[in-house]
Parts: sequence; C-alpha cells; structure tokens
Amino acid sequence: MSFQVSDESAVRKAAPATAPFGRTPARRPAGPGGRWRALVLSREAVLTLLILVVTTLLALAEPKFLNPSNLLSVGTGMIYDTPVAAGMTLVMILGGIDLSVGAVLGLTGVVIAMSLRSGVPVPFAVLLGFAAAAGAGALNGVLVARFAVAPFIVTLGTMSIARGAATVLTSGYFLSGLPAAYVEIGRGQLLGIPYPILVVLALLAVFGFLLKRWKPLHDAFYAGHNPAAASLSGIAVGRLVFAGFVTSSLLAALSAVFMTSRLAMGYARFGELAELRAIAASVLGGASFAGGSGSILGSALGVLLLAVILNGFVLLKFSVYWQGVVSGLILVVAIALDASRRRRFEAR
Amino acid sequence: MTDPVLSVDRVSKRFGRHQVLDEVSIGVRAGSIHALVGENGAGKSTLMNVIGGVVRPDSGTVTLDGRPVEFADPSAAIRAGIGTVHQEFSLFPNRSVAQNIFGRREPTGRLGFIRWRALRRQAQEMLAEIGVALDPLTPVGTLSVGAQQLVEIAKALSLRARVLILDEPTSALSEHEAQHLFGLLAGLKARGVAIVYISHRLSEVRQIADEITVLRDGRVARRTTGDASPDDLVGMMVGRHLSDMRPSRQAGPGNEVFAGEGLTRHGAFADVSFAVREREILGFAGLVGSGRTEVARAIFGADRLDAGRMSLDGRTLAIRSPRQAITSGIGYLTEDRKALGLFLPMTVRHNIVAASMPKLVSWAQLLRFCAIRAEADRYVRRLDIRPADDQAEALTLSGGNQQKVLLAKWLSVAPRVLIVDEPTRGVDVGAKAGIHRHLCELADAGVAIILISSDLPEVLALSDRVAVFRQGRLVTILDQAAATQETVMGHASA
Repeated sequence: MSFQVSDESAVRKAAPATAPFGRTPARRPAGPGGRWRALVLSREAVLTLLILVVTTLLALAEPKFLNPSNLLSVGTGMIYDTPVAAGMTLVMILGGIDLSVGAVLGLTGVVIAMSLRSGVPVPFAVLLGFAAAAGAGALNGVLVARFAVAPFIVTLGTMSIARGAATVLTSGYFLSGLPAAYVEIGRGQLLGIPYPILVVLALLAVFGFLLKRWKPLHDAFYAGHNPAAASLSGIAVGRLVFAGFVTSSLLAALSAVFMTSRLAMGYARFGELAELRAIAASVLGGASFAGGSGSILGSALGVLLLAVILNGFVLLKFSVYWQGVVSGLILVVAIALDASRRRRFEAR
Repeated sequence: MTDPVLSVDRVSKRFGRHQVLDEVSIGVRAGSIHALVGENGAGKSTLMNVIGGVVRPDSGTVTLDGRPVEFADPSAAIRAGIGTVHQEFSLFPNRSVAQNIFGRREPTGRLGFIRWRALRRQAQEMLAEIGVALDPLTPVGTLSVGAQQLVEIAKALSLRARVLILDEPTSALSEHEAQHLFGLLAGLKARGVAIVYISHRLSEVRQIADEITVLRDGRVARRTTGDASPDDLVGMMVGRHLSDMRPSRQAGPGNEVFAGEGLTRHGAFADVSFAVREREILGFAGLVGSGRTEVARAIFGADRLDAGRMSLDGRTLAIRSPRQAITSGIGYLTEDRKALGLFLPMTVRHNIVAASMPKLVSWAQLLRFCAIRAEADRYVRRLDIRPADDQAEALTLSGGNQQKVLLAKWLSVAPRVLIVDEPTRGVDVGAKAGIHRHLCELADAGVAIILISSDLPEVLALSDRVAVFRQGRLVTILDQAAATQETVMGHASA
C-alpha cells in the first residue's frame, strides 16, 4: 500500500476492506429487531462472550484465578498492552501497520531512566522520553506518508534502530535506582486503584469517543478504505497517516512510563513482542490489514482476552516461555479469520 | 488476391448488458496493413483482445492460415504466431534490451547459465533485421518511449510473429519517431507480415493502411481502402443520431465563474485556456488520452500544474490540493468510480457526506450525526437512489446508483464549479437520463459545469459550448450551433 501526501497520483487499487466504522461486517438484518441482532452479532459482543467462556473455564480449572490479587495482576498486565494496542488500531484503520512500537517502548524507558539517573527532574525526564518516541513516530510517518514506503518495511527498520539504540545506550544493563517520585506514577493509587489503570480507562473512553465522533480522527476510516478517493474528497491523507504513526509511538511511550515506573527501572529489552500482542488484539477487535476498520473497544477487549489466556497459562504452571507461542498462535488465528472474512467480502 | 492469413468470422462478445462486438468479420492478408478505426468504445480493443487470446468470443471463429484456432490464453496466441504490442508496454525497465526481447527464451548453457555473449549477438541480429540501432545491453527503462516501442516490436517479431497487432502505437511517439515506425512497418510488410493497426489518427491510417475497417457500436460499419477521405471516415465512425433529447434549460449563461489561462502540465497538456460561466455546461470532448481528465485533475489540485493561471469569480486561485479546491468551491466527480470515487465497503450515507463533512460538524469538529443523516437522506430521495436506504453498503448498489451516490456527494458540497468526468460511464439508460436531468438542474441553479465525456452525443446534447482536445491541447471551442459530431470528431482526430 502506498500513501502520498497531496499529490495523489498513486492509486492503491481498492483492496476492498471490511466493515465500516469498526463494526463487524455482520449483514444488517432487515426487519424489526435488526438492530438488536446486529448488536448481539457485533465483534465486541462476540469477544465479550469469548472472554466470559475462557474466564469460566479457567475459574473451574484453577479456583485461584478468581483471587482478587490474581485479577489485579491481570488488570495491571493490561496497562502495558492497552495503550500500544490503541495506537496500533489507529494505524491499522489507516491501512498501515507499526512494528516499531515494542522497540520504541524499550527506547523511551531507557531515555527516561537515564535522564532520571543523571538528575533530570521527573516531568522533564518523561518529556524527553516522549520526545524520543515522537521522533521515531515522525520518522515512520514521513517515510510512509511522504515517500510512500511500505509501512511494514519502514517500521521494521525503525524497530531495529530503536531497539539497537536502547541497547547501545545501556550496554544491555538494567537501569535501576529511579527516584521515588517517578515510581509513584506507576505504583500510586487512587481509591485503591493504581493510577495507570485509571489513565488507561480514561484513554480508552476519550480515544474511542474521538475516533467515532471527531472529524479529524474519523477521517481515518475514509483514508484507510480508499486513500485515493479520500484525497479527492478533500481529506489530507498524508497528514493523517503521519499523525497516526506519531500517535502510535506516543502511546507506546505511555506504556513505557507505566512499565519503568512500576518496575522502578529501565531496560533495553522492555516491550519485546509488544507489537505482536498489539496486532493480535487489534485484529481480534475488528481491525483488518486492508485498512478502514477497527475499534478501540474491540481492541481493548482483545487485549483482555489475551491477558486472561496468558494468565491462565501461568496459573496452570506452564513455563512463561509459552507466552510467545500462545500470542503468536492467537495472532495467526486472528489473521486467518480476517483473511477469510475478506474473501467472503470479495466474493460478494 | 491472396487469401487472408488471419480471418475473424462473425465474432460476438458481450460484457454484461453491453454488446461489445456484434458479428464482426475481418480478414488480414499477408504483407498488408489492415487498419481498425472507430470511436472510443466501438470495440477495437476487444477485437484485438479476441485475436490475441486475451478475451474469448461468445460466438464466431478466428482462423489462422485457414485453420480455426481457439486460444486458451495470450501465450497460446503468441506461440501460434500472433504478436501483440499493447498501448501499455509489458517491458521490464531494469533489464536490458536483449533480455526484454528474448524474455525467458534466453540462450543458456548446459547448467542453465545464461550465455550472455550469444544473447547479445542474437539481439543485435534481431535489431539489425528491423533496422534499429540500439545497444542490446542498455536497460530498457533508460530509453525513450519511441525506442521502447521498437523493443516491443522486436520482441513480438523474435517470436516469429506472422501477424502483428499494434494498438495505438503512435500515441506516445513524436512525429519523427512515428515516421521511423512507418518505415519499419513497410519493411515488415515486404517480408510478408500481416499487420493489424489500431489508431485514432485518421491521417496516419490513410497514409499507411491498405485496408480500413470502420467499427461502430461493435459492428463493422464500413470496409474501405486507404483512399477514403478523412471526412468520409469520420462520418462512418460517428454516423449516429443523437439518441438523447436535450433536457430543457431555463436561462442562458451568466457571468464568468472560472477561467484558466495557459494551463500546462509537462507530458500531459500544454497551454490550455478557457472560461466557464454561471449556468453554463462546457463540454470537454476529445479522444481518450487527449488530456481532458489530466486538465481536470490539475485544476482540482490532484496533480500539479507546471504553468498557467486560474481565477474564480475574478480572483486569482492557487490550488495545491483537492482540499483547497473544495474549499475554494471546485468539485471533481472522478471518471473511475470504484478506484477513485467510492468507499465501497462504507455505507451510502458515509459516501454521500465524505466531502461535505466540514459543514456537518460542530465548532469542535465533532460529527453531527443528525445533520449527517438528514443530509444523506435528502440526496437519496432527491436523486432517487435505490435501494432508498442510506445504510446500505455502496458496493451492493448497481452502477447507475453508485454513480448517483457520487453525484450526491458533490451536490452536498455545493461547489461553484463542478467538473464531472464520464458521469454516465457504465450506467444504464434510465440512470443516464436521470443524471443528465440533474446536471441541467444544477446548471440552472447557477453552477458552472465542465462535462468531460467520451460519449459524444452526450456532450453535444448537454453542452452550451464544446471545447475539443487533441494530444494535450485545446484545439477549439465550438458554440452549440457549430458543434456537430462531424466538426468535433474532425478537430479531435485530424
């Protein structure tokens, strides 16, 4: 796929995509009750059901699953993946993909930890981290939007650059001993709920709302379905794509703040495979590789489903190393479903 | 006279509801040039594709050397000795001339390694045979279009083609290159190759063709020889009566709205000047590739202008993107509804408001769902889009209704100038009449309309004036009274 800024001579041959506006392509059934059926058949409803089934099975197999401490650990596990998945969903709606988010997460954490250890005040250290992430996102955005390089290739390169830079900066060591004021960001609580969970919930609500109702973000659906037609409809596709990649990086930086502050250290390998889980969650939540579809709520539910399944593996005493295998499997299954959904679409 | 090498006997082909070829027969003799002429959509390309094995006819036969043949695919036709040079080249720009000529038939040694020296020598012989001086090792991408054309021909001949089909071979060539090509064709003729020559350019057809077949609406309208006068040929090509009645219009044109002066985009069009007034429909006529669409895209900011000035309501316009064009009051309904116009998987509602969204949001840029629904609903009813359900996905609609959705999208923007490019392409008669009526109503409401169409009767029926394009230039602007099929075609294909 290719994006061009305003000189829209390149036409992406409309690879027909999937459902409009983040709903699954459940055919709108005619007649009364149609809306109810559409709601029941929606991607979000199916995911919720799936999560309930998995939860029930887990609770039966291992009663410890329902312990408040375990549920809290599932919740905190989600705080790292949810912002990344939200950013990935935006990029995928725009018809792209961002493989660099995990590496950007690692680099941001390292930048913040190094700044803090050299005495930079907390707000500025965090700002520096976000600036580094924005730089990586801007690089992705410019190469994809301005020079029409395939997002897959561009972000693969950025991934290697960011991860490499983080490793070089730290020589591979953990950076511990971060100030208490910083650690408070991740560990502090309001009414017994950790700050990050509150931030993630607020993020989901605001981002989900804006994607549905705010024109500048809503245009992403048009741009993703048919960039050439969107450009000819007066939508600045290139700018939108650029903004999408920067947003994705910034959300990865948010995860980095949560992770480094909760764990009170920075490490170059933080966020490994985060891109994979984010893509899996987005696709589960209704995003398609063809662009033009995806939903924030769906992606959040996708993250929850992944978190529950991975938690189950831990509880059932499988090795942690199974995590990669399981997330990979889920991604492959989700992609296969997406592909078959698209084939059905094309057959129509 | 000798028997034809290639003959096509009563071939018919139908695409959907459109009868593209209707019992067409032609015969091509060895050592002669047989020209096919006709308007856009007359069936020339389909006929070529039938001969070249790209398209299978519904009925009728193709005979080669007296034996009926049926090609499963283009490569079968090539093996049988039919070489085709398409308008779009099929060369690999990064590979050398020699490699392009021989493709996968490169001479190889025992272990499958390419014998470069032999490859080079054979290519040189091939090129010398047709009198072309090109270094066989040059990458094709660095050659001029004319030279690439010659490589295509050498490639076809290297396959020992006895029938050579050329589709609009001169459309991208300079006068000098074209003359060189004609010399080459004369040489091939002398060697006994049968040549099928498809072209819009009547003067060159008369210069080189031994026989001319005129196609019109998928039928053979006339067979003649190179002696036919250009006027005769044009008459045979168009020979149709206006099938549409001109919808009635209220008032005459008013003040000038949009003017372009010296508009130029290198390689596409040059020095195009015209003005369009309130309540006026200005037709853009010309053959495919004459630069009409390119001018429209450049005005709309989709492509860059290299030179020229534009003004709207007397004020100078600088447009760098479609977004700016739309805010300035210019709309462009694209000719390619599926690739460039519609968001197929999205609903009719979202398609209709795609370009007019800026007026359907609040101060904080939040979508006003009620306003959006009302806007879409209004146009679904006004243009009688069926099904009358703005929640239907655009891809489920028929071609005519999809086209109405596109028109609705631009009506919703309410531009001062609306450029419509092939507004009725692939649309049935009923929807076509409806679209014509809406365009006239729009003009009556004061909008300046530029109508680009390859359907000449449509242009003549709707336009107050007709601008005729030929090879990237605006040749003339004819008043309604002066614009007839003959005058327009005369200017467009002279």
